[in-house]
Amino acid sequence: MVAYLFAVTDERAVRSRLKKLPPLLLSPLIATLLAAGLYAADLYVIPGFGMVGYFIISAAILVMCTIWVCWTWHFGLWRAFAATCMAGIFQVASATLSMTLFRVIPLHDNFEFVVLIGISLGVCIVVVLLLYRLQFGKWFCLLLYNESDLWRTALLLFAMEVVMEVFLHMANGVQSQFMGLYYLMVLVMTILMAGLVVYLARQFDTSCKLQAQQEAIARQQLYEQDLETIRQEVRTFRHDYKNLLAGLSQQARAGELEQLHAALSELDADFDRRLGEKIQASAQIGNLQIPQVRSLLLSKLAIMREKGVECRLEVYYPLKTVAMDIWDFVRCMGILIDNAVEAVEGTDRPWVEIILLAQENGVNLRVSNPWNGKVDPAHFWEEGWSTKGSGRGLGLYSYLRILERYMNISPCTSWTDGVFVQALTIGGRA
Amino acid sequence: MIDIYLCDDEPTVRRQIQTALERTILIEDWDMAIVCSVGSPQSLLEILEETNGRQGVYFLDVDLKDETWDGFLLGQEIRRLDPYATLVYITGYGDLAYRTFQYHLEAFDYIVKKPEQLEQSVSACLAAIQERLAAQRRNPKEVFTLQTGGIVRNVPLNDILFFETAAVSHHVLLHTVNSRIDFLGSLNELEAQLGERFLRIHRAYLVAADKIEEVDMKHSRLQIGGQECLISRSGKALLRKTMGESV
Repeated sequence: MVAYLFAVTDERAVRSRLKKLPPLLLSPLIATLLAAGLYAADLYVIPGFGMVGYFIISAAILVMCTIWVCWTWHFGLWRAFAATCMAGIFQVASATLSMTLFRVIPLHDNFEFVVLIGISLGVCIVVVLLLYRLQFGKWFCLLLYNESDLWRTALLLFAMEVVMEVFLHMANGVQSQFMGLYYLMVLVMTILMAGLVVYLARQFDTSCKLQAQQEAIARQQLYEQDLETIRQEVRTFRHDYKNLLAGLSQQARAGELEQLHAALSELDADFDRRLGEKIQASAQIGNLQIPQVRSLLLSKLAIMREKGVECRLEVYYPLKTVAMDIWDFVRCMGILIDNAVEAVEGTDRPWVEIILLAQENGVNLRVSNPWNGKVDPAHFWEEGWSTKGSGRGLGLYSYLRILERYMNISPCTSWTDGVFVQALTIGGRA
Repeated sequence: MIDIYLCDDEPTVRRQIQTALERTILIEDWDMAIVCSVGSPQSLLEILEETNGRQGVYFLDVDLKDETWDGFLLGQEIRRLDPYATLVYITGYGDLAYRTFQYHLEAFDYIVKKPEQLEQSVSACLAAIQERLAAQRRNPKEVFTLQTGGIVRNVPLNDILFFETAAVSHHVLLHTVNSRIDFLGSLNELEAQLGERFLRIHRAYLVAADKIEEVDMKHSRLQIGGQECLISRSGKALLRKTMGESV
């Protein structure tokens, strides 16, 4: 019974490490709640202690952990359930292994408890370190991003968990001469399950990349259409230009200096209006030489145009490399732009300004939007904070989580003169 | 006296601006002088290094046809040599990436090359500069300079609330009244650099003494700009010493 209790503790440890997305500081409240709930469950089960009791406890633990995961990581129910099951698999497997070990080496009662804890913890630590090393968490998280198939993944993992539990119980019936084989089987089974998860994640990753590429191509085509309109404008402008020049030379010959002057300014303004702005905009996009960044910005620009948000984009130097994982950069950029757009939507004159400066010693991204509310700096970075009320600012939280992984990145936030600014400096070359 | 530097590789435009500048200075009788009017960035930098110019005013062409220097890079180099420089850019198009120049170089103004308006814009710009420099002289602002990824940022010392160690190692978070800036640094170095105005109240906190709002010795915390900082045991002693028995 006590074994279950600490099995849960090491299970929790496995999980929080496994997910790597750390509120690593376990919320003590939930921990105590969990423990209390467990005690209650234990008490109930004492009279009819056996298989049924065990399964009731397991189910209760599973449900509680799912709720806890939901709460801690803001996961959806299925996602939390899948994570819990995965962790359960590892926990049960490690418990099985340590229990069989314990069974092979019989010990005096006094030492049993301590030794059991020791072995259990030892196995647990080794497994966790191994998972960490193999970056299992990364693949697993990736798998969980697949929203549509989440419930299928969760059920699959649940089934695996049940199989693992059955294995644990089979240990009771295994004769001692087959202990070695049994041991090996559990080990192979666990590795197979982990392998399956990684395989699925990879499969999902490939299909995601394929989809992203297709989207990028579609946006690229939109951009090319823009360039085509510019080309056509240039052609018509050239035609008008000839006519205008003819008129100008006529005026010059006649000595009408005033009119000549006016016509010249008109020509200048007309050019700026018809072509200058478009050329300017397309030059900025042309400077985005990283396909993923370009396609993200093209899609965000399209969304802003749709929503009537005026956007100024400046990319003064060509952006060729960023000294961080490009998908992480794109995610950060997406979060900042989404937040800015969300903040200005529905205001009087909504605008968003995106400035990317790529230089030899680093890249600087600056996203700003008008905003007249009050900032409470103490709560700004907490989960769920947003300028539009609570429950919306999850983006900023994951933004900071991403940045924590990099030594060469400095985020900066400021709110001056009614403008809210998020800037990001990425030092060095990739 | 305020030194004015001018760099534009189009001689006609340069001459025009130079005349406009000289005329304005003469009429208004300001204590300014053009010390350099050149076509190549290299010679401007040479003169700058020779004269060891400080707090100068620079009129620079954005589209310099030079292999190593364009307007932006030249501005950056000038900022490095003369941190308090006033930068004004001369451009052919009004719609240039002016925000980039504004934020990253703290460019003061733009002058668009339109022959009929040039003289007027130059003298208006110079008047604005004169006013700002005069205001600065009356009321000098101390700034704290920090550098992240090649971009230099000047933060008025008076705006700084506190420094805090960041979650990422070797990074420091600077909290001011209206911003939160992350940069590479160490509290130990900052403590030594900033002197007595800042108190190291905890291993992870360096706070501006004059910005502290409330001290709660019992719970080892203090309030500064609506935020909470921790106080260590030696921090308490330091606070008692500097702020007297009131805390």
